Amino acid sequence: MNEIKIDINHIAKLARLKMDEEQAEKFARQMTDIIGMVDSLPAIEGTATGLDPANPMTLRPDVVVVSETTREEILSNAPQVEAGCVVVPRIVE
Amino acid sequence: MLYQKSATELSAMLARGEISAVELTRSVLGRIEETDGKVGAYVTVCAEDALKQAAAVDSRRARGEELPALAGIPVAIKDNICTKGVLTTCSSKMLYNFKPPYNATVIERLNAAGAVMPGKLNMDEFAMGSSCENSAIKLTHNPHDLTRVPGGSSGGSAAAVASGETILALGSDTGGSIRQPSSCCGIVGLKPTYGSVSRYGLIAFASSLDQIGPMARTVGDAALLYNTICGRDERDATSAHHTYPDFTKCMGKGVKGLRIGVPKEYFGLGVTKEVEKAVLEAVDALRAEGAEIREISLPSTDAALAAYYIISSAEASSNLARFDGVKYGYRAREIDGLIDLYEKSRSEGFGDEVKRRIMLGTFVLSSGFFDAYYKRGKVLQQKIASEFAEAFEGCDLIATPTSPFTAFRLGENVDDPLKMYAADICTVTVNIASLPAMSIPCGTGADGMPIGLQLIGPRFSEAALFNAAAHYESLVGGFNKIPAIG
Repeated sequence: MNEIKIDINHIAKLARLKMDEEQAEKFARQMTDIIGMVDSLPAIEGTATGLDPANPMTLRPDVVVVSETTREEILSNAPQVEAGCVVVPRIVE
Repeated sequence: MLYQKSATELSAMLARGEISAVELTRSVLGRIEETDGKVGAYVTVCAEDALKQAAAVDSRRARGEELPALAGIPVAIKDNICTKGVLTTCSSKMLYNFKPPYNATVIERLNAAGAVMPGKLNMDEFAMGSSCENSAIKLTHNPHDLTRVPGGSSGGSAAAVASGETILALGSDTGGSIRQPSSCCGIVGLKPTYGSVSRYGLIAFASSLDQIGPMARTVGDAALLYNTICGRDERDATSAHHTYPDFTKCMGKGVKGLRIGVPKEYFGLGVTKEVEKAVLEAVDALRAEGAEIREISLPSTDAALAAYYIISSAEASSNLARFDGVKYGYRAREIDGLIDLYEKSRSEGFGDEVKRRIMLGTFVLSSGFFDAYYKRGKVLQQKIASEFAEAFEGCDLIATPTSPFTAFRLGENVDDPLKMYAADICTVTVNIASLPAMSIPCGTGADGMPIGLQLIGPRFSEAALFNAAAHYESLVGGFNKIPAIG
């Protein structure tokens, strides 16, 4: 496989990360090394399902249960709270 | 001293009324105070709460209640497992102030069993790393040589157990994070079969690979802790429906006729000569006890590390998308709009290794590259799993090194991700194939540092792993030795 050129700024944008040029360059180099491990693999045929037939996932019934966790407990971790709500920057003008 | 004893011994002493849980907890807390300044295993010590838990156990016992085997035994917890009202940081700036409003299922189970929690343990940030050096909080030192790493990511757990700063600990293992530090610190660590321990309340790294498991100074102690944490939990959709035996009763059956496979591929891969020698000597010791040793082949082994980094980073990039500075955790100041809030909070809150893996995961899942990387990784995963399945037709367990080398020096590999990733080369296959595996000590290298033997079994073969490991433990006269610190 040809050497992949990683568009580090595009990936950073998708990942919601900011980095300076020096860091971006370092990351690009290191990621190219890691990706290189994969490129060195022989071609493998096959399909992947990702599900384990011996242990299919069991989802719990979709019913409402009363939570023991209070609003106060949950909001106590929020960086900024006002009138029992989480404060975020304005998103609608 | 009480902190030096095994959980199995202490449990019997507690039941007979020879010691109290408060005395035992004081002994462990005293050891933490004396030693943790040098080792640095704990992120948070919960002295007051631990003594309260211990006193509660003592008064229940005084009333004549029949208590579980773990009642009154200190079990310290890796800092990525949610503990209600107790700081759970993942050793990250992102969660520097996070106090979960709920307990992980494993914590509920430990509480129900009357276990005492002395505190929360250091780790590589978000469990990404093999040396604990990626912790944003502190460095952890190897109790056998303070200039060396304890391994990772459950390095705090391994160092605390090895130094006597706890009796037992929980770690988590996504690619070797229980076994590799156990190997580096000379203790016993089990990565259980995927689905056997609930992941509810474990802060996710790679959900299809993560598994919580026990770390201890003896095999019997690991069995005791595993007994308490395994089992079905409906809050984890991947939790298996399975009936588990009492693992403390699965040992002592000998190894006569046990077929142990030795895969030749695990002895290249940068495995040092001294590690190879120690592991093969341990296998020989089991042969002398009647085990049949077979050379086997797992051809895709050298490709596993690549598959592992693709799959785990892809899952991490999705799992860690939730950390956005809105509802909990770190939020950047002086922000300009919502997107800026996300980007600044994440960029300031995450360390370099976490960012690198999020970026790698985002890349392999991005349009145009998905087939070349992620899909290829998943196909390879299936291939590795089927090679193991085939191997287990001809043998009961597989023996390999846990880590290709002994604990390296602090700072030695920090800026070379590929070198660091090589520490996981013998362990990642097990997670990829959803198998259980245990690391037990099997001698030391020329530098005096512990070497680990990894025993791998088919799914749900923990009983056989405990039995073989305990047999080897008794052959070498026991593992439970705490080194002099410093």
